[in-house]
Amino acid sequence: MGHKRTNAAIWTWTLFVLVAIYLPIVCGALASFNKSRYFGFPIKTYSTEWWQKTLDSIEIGMIVKTSISIALLVTVFSVVIATFGALAFARYEWKGRKLYQKLILLPIFFPQPVLGLAMLLGFNAVGIQTSWMTAVFAHMIWIVPVVTLVIAIQVYGFDPSLEEAAYDLGCSRTQVFREVTLPLLWPGIWSGMLFAFLLSWSNFPLSLYTTGADSTIPEWLYAKMVAGYTPMVPALGTMATLGAACLLLAGGLIGLLLRRRAAA
Amino acid sequence: MLQTTPAASQSAEPPKPILQLVGIRKSFGAFTAVDTIDLDVREGEFLTIVGPSGSGKTTLLRMLAGMDTPSEGNITLHGQLINDVPPNKRPTCLVFQSLALFPHKSVGENIAFPLKVKGVDAAARKARALELMRVVRLPENYFDKNVMKCSGGERQRVALARALAYDPEVLFFDEPLSAIDYKLKKTLEKELKDLHRETGKTFIYITHSLEEAMVMSDRIGVMRAGRIVQIGTPEEIYGAPVDRFVCEFVGEVNTLKVKRGPDGAWQGVDVPGRFTLAPPRDGKTLDEAFVVVRPEFMRILGPDESADNRLEGVVYNEYSLGSRIQYQVRVGAKVMLVELSRGRALPASADRKVTLGWDAADAFTLES
Repeated sequence: MGHKRTNAAIWTWTLFVLVAIYLPIVCGALASFNKSRYFGFPIKTYSTEWWQKTLDSIEIGMIVKTSISIALLVTVFSVVIATFGALAFARYEWKGRKLYQKLILLPIFFPQPVLGLAMLLGFNAVGIQTSWMTAVFAHMIWIVPVVTLVIAIQVYGFDPSLEEAAYDLGCSRTQVFREVTLPLLWPGIWSGMLFAFLLSWSNFPLSLYTTGADSTIPEWLYAKMVAGYTPMVPALGTMATLGAACLLLAGGLIGLLLRRRAAA
Repeated sequence: MLQTTPAASQSAEPPKPILQLVGIRKSFGAFTAVDTIDLDVREGEFLTIVGPSGSGKTTLLRMLAGMDTPSEGNITLHGQLINDVPPNKRPTCLVFQSLALFPHKSVGENIAFPLKVKGVDAAARKARALELMRVVRLPENYFDKNVMKCSGGERQRVALARALAYDPEVLFFDEPLSAIDYKLKKTLEKELKDLHRETGKTFIYITHSLEEAMVMSDRIGVMRAGRIVQIGTPEEIYGAPVDRFVCEFVGEVNTLKVKRGPDGAWQGVDVPGRFTLAPPRDGKTLDEAFVVVRPEFMRILGPDESADNRLEGVVYNEYSLGSRIQYQVRVGAKVMLVELSRGRALPASADRKVTLGWDAADAFTLES
């Protein structure tokens, strides 16, 4: 009897959490299919009109391009920096490593609006005109530490004697990295890439301060919510969410396939 | 007709050292891991370094393999100084304790790895890898098998084949058999010894198990606190240990502390009695000594049997060791171990007072 009650409680709680997480997203999607301009339940007429308008908009096209450009550059730079950073973090013993481990993770805990403002002031002080390119740099301040941590977990999971063995079997330092270190770190690097892209894709506070005249998807959504709402806002929001979900799914599938092939 | 057998020619001319260590020291900060080791490794020998954990044997091996640099002293290979030669430039190869097989590569790719690094073409690599798989007794169809799906014993063989593919002059082993179950370990020990004979290469093996060392080695070096305390053939180590440490390392032993009485005779310190002992090694004169008697040389005396030394005790425990039985006998405050073959087992009885005895020639008199 008691067992049954516990089970029921667990299921109720799980359902509640899932609803709390996903209901807003569903609401957003529903709002984007509302024919009338202003949002209100129940929806009287459904329409794909706003989706069509969103897809046709030149302004939104540019914004999406900006968001993708920032996210792609952040991904590439972060992963390269974080891979070596993670090796320093988790693989090698060196003087000052403990301090480095703390300092590198600190930016994750900075309030992002404050970090964004600080960056803006910094760019102004040294006379750099802010644009989407400065936003790439700003995103990296926050994302490189996250990706470093993700890859470091992978580094902790591999036996350093593998590198020594390769070296002992005649490899040069570069060969060791190419033949052993990189393939073994690959799952972590892959997760790191997904993290980097998605965190940049959805970042609002850092972009707000550092993109200058350019605008990213989250910035545009906010601006339109403040003034000039149309159902294009939830439409673009839903598209951005779906895009991220697809990327994550594809990333997960590729990861799975790679692991399958390695295990064959 | 005169014909020199290989064995005879070997004994006539001792093999020259391939590796020479002179005054090797390695310190990490204030801690000295290896403390002044001089060692000549003969070409083609199977040398095992044994010692408890922390005795510095792995540090010694890492210096030989080039993964650590000695703080002091010289290592020469064929007379050439190699202190600072990195592992990838040394004709030596280490089989790691963890084996360090590449988990993202197949059995065949693992074995062919050193050849790939050398730039050997794919077809030749595969042919050589298959050849080596035969040498280490791995079935041919394992070539494409995931190395992580191999059993413990199979992985040992892959690691061995990979090391041989590098074609080193000296192979190092860092306790690769420590995680293997007993029966398989025995098989692999013998195979390794066979392989040593077949390849004629120099093997240097590190272990904490003297039993393992005894089975395989031509020579054994016993390490303690960064020093080699004794080096010799397995027979020399077993038959003439230099001190109590080596003695106890060989297996369970009975140790008695003795001192010279006023009349010059040996007297027990922790058990009463006077003892007749063999003279200490190197003809030293000692006032205090340890007598070490192996359990298999300790006898239980019948009423009409005699021995150089006798002790009265009470049996309070017995263990089956398979073909032999070990008795724990309390003599005063000391516990003595006696091992008898199963055929000579004591009759079970409630009151098990026994007389232990051993002959002076069967025991060691050691300084410390």
